[in-house]
Amino acid sequence: MRNGVFFCQVEDGKNLNIDAIAKYAANLPGVEIVQNLGVKPHLKASLLADLILTNSLTRIVIAGDMPGYYKPVFTKAMALARCNTDEVRLASFKEHGATGDIALDRAKATVACANMGVPFALVAIPTGNPVNHSTLVIGGGIAGIQASLEIANAGKQVYLVEQTGTIGGHMAMFDKTFPTLDCAACILTPKMVSIGQHDMIRLLTYSNVTEVSGNPGSYRVRIHQRPRRIDVDSCVACSICSDVCPVKVDSEFDSKITKRKAVYIPFPQAVPNAYLIDEASCTYILSNGIKCGVCAKKCPKECINLTEAESFLDLEVGNIIIATGYELLDVQKIEQYGYGKYPNVLTSIEFERLTNASGCTGGRIVTKTKLFNRKTQLEEWVFVPEGVPPRNVAILHCVGSRNNKYNSYCSRVCCMYSLKFAHLIKEKIPDVRCYEFYIDMRAFGKGYEEFADRIRNEGTFVVRGHSASVEMVNEQMTVKGEDIIHDRMVQFKVDMVILAVGLIPSTGTEEISKMLGITRDSDGWFSELDYNGNPTDTEKGGIYVAGMCQGPKDIPDTVAQASAVAAGVLRSISSGRGIGHLSSVSLSEIEKRAKTIHTV
Amino acid sequence: MAIRVNPKLIDDLERFGAEDVKFCYHCGDCSTVCFHADEVYRFPRKSMRYLQMGLGRKIETTLEPWLCYYCGQCSEQCPREADPGETMMSLRRWLISRYDITGIARLFFKSLTTEILAVIGVALLTGAFLLFYGLSQGNFSIYDGEGAFLPSHFIHSFDLLVGACLAVFLLINAVRMWFFVMVRGTSFPVPWWLYPKKLYLMVWHFFSQKRYSECERKRNTKVFMPWIVHLGLMLGYVIMLVLVMGFVEKLQYGPRIIWPVHIFGYLATIGLTIGTIYFIRNRLIRKNYVQYKKSHSTDWVFVILLFVIVLTGISQHIFHRTGLNEFANVTYIIHLMAVVPWLLRMPFSKWSHLVYRPLAMYFAEIRREALKRQGAVLPAYSY
Repeated sequence: MRNGVFFCQVEDGKNLNIDAIAKYAANLPGVEIVQNLGVKPHLKASLLADLILTNSLTRIVIAGDMPGYYKPVFTKAMALARCNTDEVRLASFKEHGATGDIALDRAKATVACANMGVPFALVAIPTGNPVNHSTLVIGGGIAGIQASLEIANAGKQVYLVEQTGTIGGHMAMFDKTFPTLDCAACILTPKMVSIGQHDMIRLLTYSNVTEVSGNPGSYRVRIHQRPRRIDVDSCVACSICSDVCPVKVDSEFDSKITKRKAVYIPFPQAVPNAYLIDEASCTYILSNGIKCGVCAKKCPKECINLTEAESFLDLEVGNIIIATGYELLDVQKIEQYGYGKYPNVLTSIEFERLTNASGCTGGRIVTKTKLFNRKTQLEEWVFVPEGVPPRNVAILHCVGSRNNKYNSYCSRVCCMYSLKFAHLIKEKIPDVRCYEFYIDMRAFGKGYEEFADRIRNEGTFVVRGHSASVEMVNEQMTVKGEDIIHDRMVQFKVDMVILAVGLIPSTGTEEISKMLGITRDSDGWFSELDYNGNPTDTEKGGIYVAGMCQGPKDIPDTVAQASAVAAGVLRSISSGRGIGHLSSVSLSEIEKRAKTIHTV
Repeated sequence: MAIRVNPKLIDDLERFGAEDVKFCYHCGDCSTVCFHADEVYRFPRKSMRYLQMGLGRKIETTLEPWLCYYCGQCSEQCPREADPGETMMSLRRWLISRYDITGIARLFFKSLTTEILAVIGVALLTGAFLLFYGLSQGNFSIYDGEGAFLPSHFIHSFDLLVGACLAVFLLINAVRMWFFVMVRGTSFPVPWWLYPKKLYLMVWHFFSQKRYSECERKRNTKVFMPWIVHLGLMLGYVIMLVLVMGFVEKLQYGPRIIWPVHIFGYLATIGLTIGTIYFIRNRLIRKNYVQYKKSHSTDWVFVILLFVIVLTGISQHIFHRTGLNEFANVTYIIHLMAVVPWLLRMPFSKWSHLVYRPLAMYFAEIRREALKRQGAVLPAYSY
């Protein structure tokens, strides 16, 4: 064989030392010439054919991040030179994961395989490590719950780590699910209860993963358990501690539209159903034990230990499932919608809490009422059950989504939940006018288009045209827009504006990606191994992604992906072949194996 | 009317400055934030739509580009960074080239080299002609009066000739604009008496530029700076044009200053100087303003020529008053060498919006009134 190796980059490959790879390639068996053609070269088949003829090459190796891009021109050159056109081999750095620390070795390995004329995937098969049968799940939302239950029901040990005081995640905040309008809590709470009662699941709430080491199949994980200061097993959630607590802070679970005490339970159906003490606001902790402490005195079960210390837990697990979810974009930075400036401009999740029967108004949809706060001597806008219901409500889609300044991607769920909001509003308030401002109606799932039609038929004004402004004139909000289908300008006086805010990865995502060595895409979501073929695995063996943390998706998709992840975990446990990772295969091993494999 | 689709319209418009029309996904944010968009004239989204569909013949008959004063709010808001403001600006350039019957405007907008060559050619021709005329009959060291190098009565007739060329071209183009907009683009009857009834609007918009001042609302400032400067520049230009066309003998008379005439000249000079410096500065430094981010090559030719004219105009006046007649003559020839191409270029360049804008406001109101008589105007849908 007389081989020619050509390096062509499509993107600027600054992270790869092409010269080093070229030097390596020059020493490979059979290589006659090595040329670095640079970034985005304009190649001419006739010139390449001359090169092939003068060096009498019989095989071409195109190496680069996307070498397939240049395959046609080289094939043509081979044909012009009357050589075998099948002998154009690709060494694709991107496809075979030449990124990060292992980039150089991986790139060299792909070149070596292409030079031998054997597919990389046939050569580089990692050896299977023995698998520890227990699994770590990071994140206790619907994805984490579903994956944990699937694995635990198969009889394998699961550790479920959740950073807040309860599992349930965002789904627990929702009132109804689209498009069936089922009660979200009715689906979720039974699952939460089974998590709490399951023999094979160890629930670690108020905890974070701080350290991960080891190899696929045997990860050593250190978990930081923040002090809950209330004994989970003996607490009966009688609420006496909360009743006597003097501190009031914004409730995270109610997305800050109501207050909670410093000792609190996130919501009545929380699992574990026990109170906890918020160290950031508790007077006793902030004053180093000098003031207050009244909850500990009043607790009839004596389960409050205000001086409980933090603890660490070391675990050995075989697989790790990441299900860290999402949060909302900070909508205050998109000024034109007046969020934070006008009291009755709400984010989607705030409205979700308002309309929820367990919310602060018992499910009544009302506008905020101005009340005088005696403690701070300030007037505040708050939701009270006896507030005035809105007469006109505008729902704006795509706030921060599909917008090059904020999120260029579609958040995928906003269209549908906005339609659901319109339904809930019309259901609860008679004679209300509801306006939906949308750009494109992305009703993509089973029954979704029918749901959108149903909402239209219910009498919601669905305006095809985005509104860019919410203005306040004489204490009256107006929303202006262009109705593109009816070719007219529209201007509505409204009492409440709901913003369908775009979704972003949750705060700790970057930290977890660094800890586990998982890459993220340009928008910050975790990268899956292959979007179409392998959407649950990551490039690191034994680590999986489920739910929103991989990209925006709705509840049915999240649950489906979580179950798929569980299948992957159980496969690695029960196949007996173990799990490995490509990074464990060394370059010399690949070279050696490439020589032993013969292809036709 | 049959609709003809030109799929290359967007590519064609790229040469006029709009590069990002294809990104638009029609959310309507731009029309929402625009102060000038109303129930009859909704833009910029609709114009973007016509462009994407390649309806050049349709856009020709619309007035929307002229109703936009490029405050840049739409481009700042645009979620797709499709730059609707710049698109409207490019459409104005494109419309000028469409109204122009000769095709010169199109050539200038598409090729800077052609434009510069044309400007230099006309300037050289003017200079040669003036030199030849001056040398054949006058004395180089006399600026005005008996035996002057360039006698003012000659300059006057020369000016009137150039002015007549300008007026003819502008008139033809204005008639074409009227034909496109009011005949081809108006399928409903327009009562004749609307034309005299709304005529005052043309004068009003010409001298006040009220719509431009409305654009400044977005900045929440008390002083509408770009509007005032633009108004000063425009008024200075018009006063100067009137002086040159009607009173050039008095203007050139010296060294005594004839205050009733010269005071207008000074005022116009102040307006032109401040305007020129302000807009050059904006285009050079204030790149962070959306409307100055992209300057078309023709904009630069315009401001630079204007700058030369202002500078030589002032200096020839000073030289004349201080008795440096030779210098005055030289600067005067340079001045005229810049003025003639600048004036002749006017119907083929952006500067012709001096005529088109007030005309557009005038036509727009006539059309609106005629539409209302048809009962075809839907009020903004609201509760």
